[in-house]
This record gives sequence, structure tokens and C-alpha cells, in this order.
Amino acid sequence: MALTLTCPVCGKRNGYEFRYGGEDKGPRPAEEGMTPSAWCDYVHMNKCTAGVQKEWWFHRDGCGAWFTTYRDTVANLEVDAPEVTE
Amino acid sequence: MNRLNQLPTLRIDPAEKRTLSYRGKSLPGVAGDTVATALFANGVRIFARSLKYHRPRGLYSLDGECANTMMDVDSIPNVRTENTLLKNGMVVKEQNVKGSAEFDWMGFIDKFDWMMPAGFYYHTMHKPAAVWPHAMKQIRKAAGLGEISPDYVMRGRFDELFLKADVTVVGGGAAGMRAALAAAEGGLRVVLLEARPHLGGCFDYRVSDNGDGTPLYQRARELAEQVAATTNIRVFTHAPLVGTYSNNLITAHQVGSDSDSFTERYIEIRSESIVVATGCIERPLLFDNNERPGVMQVGCAHRLARTYGILPGKQAVFAVGHDLGLEAAIDLFDLGLKIGCVADIREDGQNPDLLMALADRAIPVLKGWVAAKAHGKTVTKVTLTTVEGTVKRDFDCDLLVASAGLTPVTGPFIMAQAKMGYDNHTGYFLPTELPERMFPAGRLTGVGDPRAIEASGRLAGLQAAAACGVSLNGELDAAKAATAALPGPERGCKLVTAPVKGRKSFICFDEDATIKSVKQAIDKGFDVPELVKRFAGVGLGPGQGGIPGHNLPLFVAKYTASSATPKPTTLRPPLVPTFIATYAGAHHHMFKRTPLHKSQKAAGGVFRNIGVWKRARYFSDDFDCREEILNVRGNVGMLDGSTLGKFRIHGPDALKALQRVYVSDMSKVKEGRIKYSAMCNDDGCVIDDGVVVKRGENDYYFTTSTGRAGATVEWIRYHTRFDGWDFHLVNLTDAMGVINLSGPNARKVLAKVTDADLSSEAFPFSGYREITVGGSIPARAMRLGFVGELSYELHVAASYMQAVWDLLEEAGAEFGIRNFGVEAQNVLRMEKCHIILGQESEQRTNLLDVGLGFLWDRTKSACKTVGAVALRQAEKDPNRFKLVGIRMEDDDRPARDGALIVDTKVRGYVATMRKSFTTGEAVGMALVEKPLSDIGTRLEIFEDECNGVRLYARVVKMPFYDPNGERMKA
Ligand SMILES: [Zn+2]
Repeated sequence: MALTLTCPVCGKRNGYEFRYGGEDKGPRPAEEGMTPSAWCDYVHMNKCTAGVQKEWWFHRDGCGAWFTTYRDTVANLEVDAPEVTE
Repeated sequence: MNRLNQLPTLRIDPAEKRTLSYRGKSLPGVAGDTVATALFANGVRIFARSLKYHRPRGLYSLDGECANTMMDVDSIPNVRTENTLLKNGMVVKEQNVKGSAEFDWMGFIDKFDWMMPAGFYYHTMHKPAAVWPHAMKQIRKAAGLGEISPDYVMRGRFDELFLKADVTVVGGGAAGMRAALAAAEGGLRVVLLEARPHLGGCFDYRVSDNGDGTPLYQRARELAEQVAATTNIRVFTHAPLVGTYSNNLITAHQVGSDSDSFTERYIEIRSESIVVATGCIERPLLFDNNERPGVMQVGCAHRLARTYGILPGKQAVFAVGHDLGLEAAIDLFDLGLKIGCVADIREDGQNPDLLMALADRAIPVLKGWVAAKAHGKTVTKVTLTTVEGTVKRDFDCDLLVASAGLTPVTGPFIMAQAKMGYDNHTGYFLPTELPERMFPAGRLTGVGDPRAIEASGRLAGLQAAAACGVSLNGELDAAKAATAALPGPERGCKLVTAPVKGRKSFICFDEDATIKSVKQAIDKGFDVPELVKRFAGVGLGPGQGGIPGHNLPLFVAKYTASSATPKPTTLRPPLVPTFIATYAGAHHHMFKRTPLHKSQKAAGGVFRNIGVWKRARYFSDDFDCREEILNVRGNVGMLDGSTLGKFRIHGPDALKALQRVYVSDMSKVKEGRIKYSAMCNDDGCVIDDGVVVKRGENDYYFTTSTGRAGATVEWIRYHTRFDGWDFHLVNLTDAMGVINLSGPNARKVLAKVTDADLSSEAFPFSGYREITVGGSIPARAMRLGFVGELSYELHVAASYMQAVWDLLEEAGAEFGIRNFGVEAQNVLRMEKCHIILGQESEQRTNLLDVGLGFLWDRTKSACKTVGAVALRQAEKDPNRFKLVGIRMEDDDRPARDGALIVDTKVRGYVATMRKSFTTGEAVGMALVEKPLSDIGTRLEIFEDECNGVRLYARVVKMPFYDPNGERMKA
């Protein structure tokens, strides 16, 4: 696999070792007052950014850590965290 | 044929004989021959018939750029014989012929080309619809390449290599070797890939001077020696590049020779930087019958003589557009080839030394002339014409060396997403912006001067090293200056096609596409190369555009009189055909065995793959398992349940994690008791079930189904990833084994091997005890009822499993204890309507559908239990499936697992059904739409191959056996 990812524990490794865990959408919302459509959006709706996005990866064939990283989805390459613009 | 045995350039060993079998005859060859050159040396000129028109085809490029010389070798179809080294005893056959390649009964089709214009299939293959299945059969018989035999079993050894390199150099010609040497100077790890079986590239077969007094072939060998002596260069020959990907990942395959341990192997290289020194192939000259056997490219004719010692013909005509053509004419003349005429497309710009050498040999040169037509089934005569088509002259010959120009091999750049642009000076399509850390070298940059080729290689090698962080102290500047001082890119010949109508001028050999069919496509509006490519079938064949790739965009631009610059078509991996076996590699069957595998096997176990495991499914030839089942119901049996997922979770936040993933309230798990529960996903669909026991404060042991064991750690950590909780998860699946001891006599058996009090009061149903077996072996014992009888599940360290098993077997001997397998267990639990997830559920089945809603505790919202929100919504949905018990109207005809429940449409399916030996009824469980779930509802069942006959069943109460559970609680 052309993709490499940088595990916070094990360092830069072949993409084969990891499982994709989806876009970073933040913590699970509270159940109280949750509408069906809001819940469905949290679970199923994705931004599908063509460009750099923050996402979750699991080091399946390694240390077993979940971590976030940034990936350019067009080039399919891990990239540095974008600089925060305010 | 007598070979030119004494040439210093040879890559064959005339002393070492080989044979191959072709058309029932044994033909001689020599070591170093390819299958194609061995056949050619034996007088074979027609190698195959073309895809559509059955035109005769022969050697053309000698590098496998078209399907012309694809043959069936040792029952493998479509073998590129020009790229396949001859091995002793190879059996070679022609493809797509009726009769022989020499005389093909289907050859008449060529006369009917007018019936099959571009897009013929698209136009005609839709109506009348009824005709086409028959027509298709005939067309399939008449058209195509090799035939695959479904029974053929691939032989050979296939291997994989995954390399990490600092610099990878693609192409082992002079530029590539210089690049590798330069990159290796600083100690970097360098990999050098060469597609041909030997290094040398375009220097390898040429005797002309390199500018410093050394013949090129000799220079190539010098460089190869230097490369071989450099320990940090790893060379792969006969290893064509297959793909380039982002992150500078390269894939290739290597073909093994007789002495290698592999037939073919996959190579994947991750490099810091890449040098592309793939050189050039030749741009085919387009004229009538330009693909007849006897027409070949310059490199093909030259290499046949110089590399393989075979003079490519007796009497030749050359029609070329570059100096390599003139050089080849001179050299081949000196080797004994008669040359009637050299037509050079160019009016001027030739190297004067070459013109002088031609004049010295009295070889007539016609400047501004080109081939217009080749005559004969194999070439007997050629018509030459001025480029304008004003004057014509015929020449008798058996060889026409034809080549319009050169084409850089830019596949690696294209696959690395480089933008390609047309370079007006060279006439090449070259990358306009180079991908990161990827450097071009050698002839593909347009240079032709041998010193310039070498210098560009060295420069690229140093650039690649610099990209790896090597500091070069001015060497880079020196290399740049050296390159600049040498001749730069040469002007390319721009002629696209001879002045002919083009009905028989083939732009793509693989797909039998002509200039005429390209014109037809453009006239229909397919006016960009990517569209013409697909509509007229240009470059879609196995050669991957090697023949038409350069000519098509040039011709389209010319024919459409477009002012925009020509745009090349794209390329995709695999650039060269690779065996699927090579991708599959060496390890095909990987599985886990339980600690009891050997004894289960010795006991007659019939094993099946279940997930990643081998499990004993049956213990006799009776796949209905009657004896195994009745023995559990009436006596006592033992099952190896070691494949169950087994985990420990402990730490301050262990309970919180369990509350998150299990639907039940896990705070109610009491020590000494087992808690059955289930996990759902965020859609409320049930993904796992198992039991949890509490072994201490925030210290739990739990089981998962066999299939979920691998994903459980990932799952729990995923759903707690934002919480920062402190807990540890230990996967004990392989560390612990499980023995299920079941049947009315189970207690008596177990009592013989343990001192623990097994009475129902001391160790009741649903109890958990940690006992000692055989005096010293610790076992975690659970009283479960999966099969519906008195039952003990013993969880034992894997290393003790066999000992405990043997103890139980010995203790049970007096009762007639025996094994039962997974199938018996399946029937036993089905009679009790205990579900197995994946069998009584599928992806969309939620907790409520399968009747496990009672497990769900809705008071623990604060835990954010996975699936709870969706379950709350699903509860109100009247359109869900429901798991029901069913019984066939005919007890002797159980429906198969997976049979559909239908009326006017599909209403559900049978999950599991067996004829129960216990009750004599054909019973099972089914998932049906809610309106069909009432007791007594009649269900119509459809099975595959039922020939319209339906089966009928009725919804009945669950379970079918021991409804009050008295037996398992005994
Ligand atoms: Zn890791």
C-alpha cells in the first residue's frame, strides 16, 4: 500500500497495518434529547472532504492504539496538521 | 539457421543447447534465447493471427509491446514470447487460429473489414436481442487471443519481496547504471530494476563508438561490472516495473530463471527517491500492411542480429526517421544483410558520419521518402514513396525495417500523476512538472548522444541522493555543468503516417485498429484520444498502448487540425501482465488450530474452516450427526469450544467500558454468577453475544463469539476513544481453551476429576466457579445451557487443555462419553432456539428482531451505550423482521438453511432448520416480516432448484425442546 501512517506509539508504518476509523466527528453526543435524524447524522453523515481531513486510524497489526491524523484524501498521503487559522 | 556465433555482443550461449516443442516438432534453441527468437531462428515468421481480422503477425518490437507474439506456452495463454526466456522442453502453441498461424482458415475475415467499422460491436450488438447470444458465441470463437483452461492448475513457486530503499532506479541501461552508481557513492541503499534479462539497455547491442573510443556494448559491460562490484546496489534483472504509486511506492515483478528459486515474484519497493531511466521504445511507422511479418522495428532487427546472432532477413529495405535506423543499417550490412535502399523520412538533420558510412557501402539513401505499402503474406516487396506521395518505387525484399521515431517510456511518471505535455522539439510527451523526488534520466529526456545519456544518468542519481538528504558539496553543480556541455535533446521526426488512405494501416495491432477506423471514430464525434481509444479500441489490448500510445494523440491532433497541443492517453498499472499467482504469493492457507487439534483429528474429526480456525464439524461420516446428538441428549458428550473469544478487562474504568459496549446493566454482574449479554453497533444491530463474569472489583472475564474475537479490542477501544478511561484489555483467546461437557451424566463425569462441590445447590445453573481439575489444574467453570442439557464449560490454560480433556475422557469412559462436533452443537442449540449470531442474524438484524430485547437496560442513558439510541427508534418501527420458530408441514422434508420465505415477494428466510432426532419434527428458526410472525401462520418457502414446487411450514412456539429448561438447570 502506498499510504504510510504515523502511529503515536510505533512511528511511521505501512498503511496495511492500520484500519480506517472514519472522519473525526467528536465525542458521542448525549442520548437525552437526541432526535432520530440528529443521531443518524452523527453516525452516518460524512463530510468526504476532497483535501485534508482529520480522521481516526487503528493500529491493528501493531500496538492497538486508536489515534487521529491528517490525510490528504486526493493524494492519499498523510500530511502535517494544518495550521490553525483564526 | 546458422547463428552469428562469434559476435562479442551476444547474450546467448551457442554451446548450451535447448529444445522446445512446436506443432508436434522438437526445435533447437540455445541458452539465452527467448521463445520468440528460438522460433524465429527455426524459420517461424508467422507467430499468431490478429484478434479480429486474423491477419498474420510476427516479430515486431522484440520487447513484447504488442500481442503479435503472444502464444500459449506450457498451457499458459497469452505468454509474451519475446520476453520469455526459453527453458528446456517448453510446449509452444499458436493462438486464435483455425488450422495454423501459417495457414488460418479464418484468414478470409481480413477481406471483410469494411463490414466492421469502428464501434461495430456497439452499433450492432443490441438488436434484435434474440440473435445476439448466438452471434456472440460465433464471434467469441472467431475473435480473441489465448484461451484459458478452467481446469489448469498453475505450477511453479511464487514469492514476494517488500523492500525499503533510499533510491530506486528504474531501467538498467547506461543512464540507469550511472544513476545507480552516482546515488550509491554516498552509501545509500540503491535498487536497480531492469526489464530485460540483462543490464545494458540501448548500449548493449551497439558497436558504435561512445565518443571516447569505446564501443557502446563494451561500455555497457564495464558499467554493469561496476554496478555488480558496488555492494549497496541491489540489482533485479528481468524485472519489469508494474506500477508507481504515491509516496514513491513502486511495484514490479521478477521472472525467475532456471537457477532461481521462484517462477515469478512480486516486488514492492518503498523508496525515498526514484530515478526513471526507462529509455525509449520506437514509434511505429504507419503505412499499408505495416504489421506484416517481415516488417519490424529497428531495435528488433538490430538486436536479433547482435544479441541473438540471427540475421533478421536476406534482402532488406529500411524506412526510418532517426539515426538509430541508419546506424542499424550500416551494422547489419556489415554483418551480411543486403540492403536495397534506406528511406529516411527526414529531409535533413542526419548525422553526417552515418551518411558517409552508408555512401561508403554504396547503400542508396532516399531522403524525404517513406514506406507506403508492404506486399505479400510475409513481406516480399515494398512500395516506397516520397513523403508527399508524389512518386513511388517498388523494392523486392524479405525484411522491411520501419520506424518513424522514438517514444519515451514515461509510464512511471504518468502513473505517479505527473501532468504530461507535448514537447515540440523532440515530439515527445514529457512530464511538465516532475512528481516529488522523482528524476528522469537518459534517452527519455530526448538525448541520444552516448556521453549525454551517461551524464544525465549521473546527474539524476546525484539529485536522487540529494533528495535523500545527502550533502553533495558542489558535485551536483559539476554534474549539471557536464550535462549542459554535451549535446541536448535531439529533434524528433514529426511524420505521423505515410501518404495513404489507411484502410490497412494499423495504428493498434492488439485490437486491429486502423487509421481508417480512427478517422471513423473522429467523424462520429469522438474527437479526443481518450474517446477514440475506447470507441475504436486503440491501446486497450495487452500491450497497454505500447504501439499506439504515441501515434494516436499525434494523429488525432493532425486529423482534427486542432490548434491545441496533442494530449496523450493515460496509463494504469499493471504496465506489464503479471500472473495472478504472483500476487497471491506463497502463503495461501493460513488458519489457527485449537490446543486439541491433534486429538480431535485422531478421534476422527472432520475439519472445516470456521473464521480463522480449523474446527471439527463432524465425528463420523453421518453428517446428520445422529449418534453425536443422541449421546448428548441421553448421556454425555464433549466439545472443543476453544475458538470462543476470551478476554480479561480490568482497571479502574473497566466497568464503564463494559457499560458502554454491552446493552445490559453490567453493574449488576455478581461474583459467582455469569451474565449473558449482547453488543450492538450504533444502528442497534446485534454484533456479538457472550457471557461476562466478575472475578474482582473492576476485573472481568468475558467471552465473545468466535468471529468477533479479532475485532473486540478494536471495538471497545474505538467506542471509548474520547473518554480517556483507564482500563486494560487482554485477549486470552489463544491463551485459554474451552471444553464443553454436556449431557445428563456431565456432573458424574466432572465429579470424578475435581473435589469441588458440584451439587446444584453449591454450583447452580448460571453459576461461575474456579475449580481445580486433576488435583492441580485450575479451571474456570461455568454452568451454561447452550445445548439444552446439564452442561459445564471449562476454561483452561491452553497448555493444560489436552491434559484436562484426557482426564475427562478417561472419567467418562464408563458412561460412554464421546466427542461431538460443531454440527451436532448447532442442531442441539437449534432445538432449544438458542441463536448463533450470523446464522439467526445478518447485518441488518437488530437486538429486538432476534428476541433479545430483554437484555437491554434502558435506564443507563448516562453510559451512552452503543446502539441504545437506535434501539429506542427501532422499537416504534412496525416493519421489522422477527425471529420465529417454524415447523415443516412435511417433517421428512426440512428446508435448507437460507431458503426464502415468499408470497408475491420475499418475506424472510430460513435461518437454520434440521430434522430433530430428539422430537422427530423438522423444525428451525426463521426471520420473517412481523405480520407473518403469529403462531400458526402458514409460510411458503422457496428453495434454489425447486422447479416451481414450494415447501410449506407453520410458525410454532419456541423452543422445540425442554421449554421450561428443566434439563439444563438440573
Ligand atoms: Zn502503533
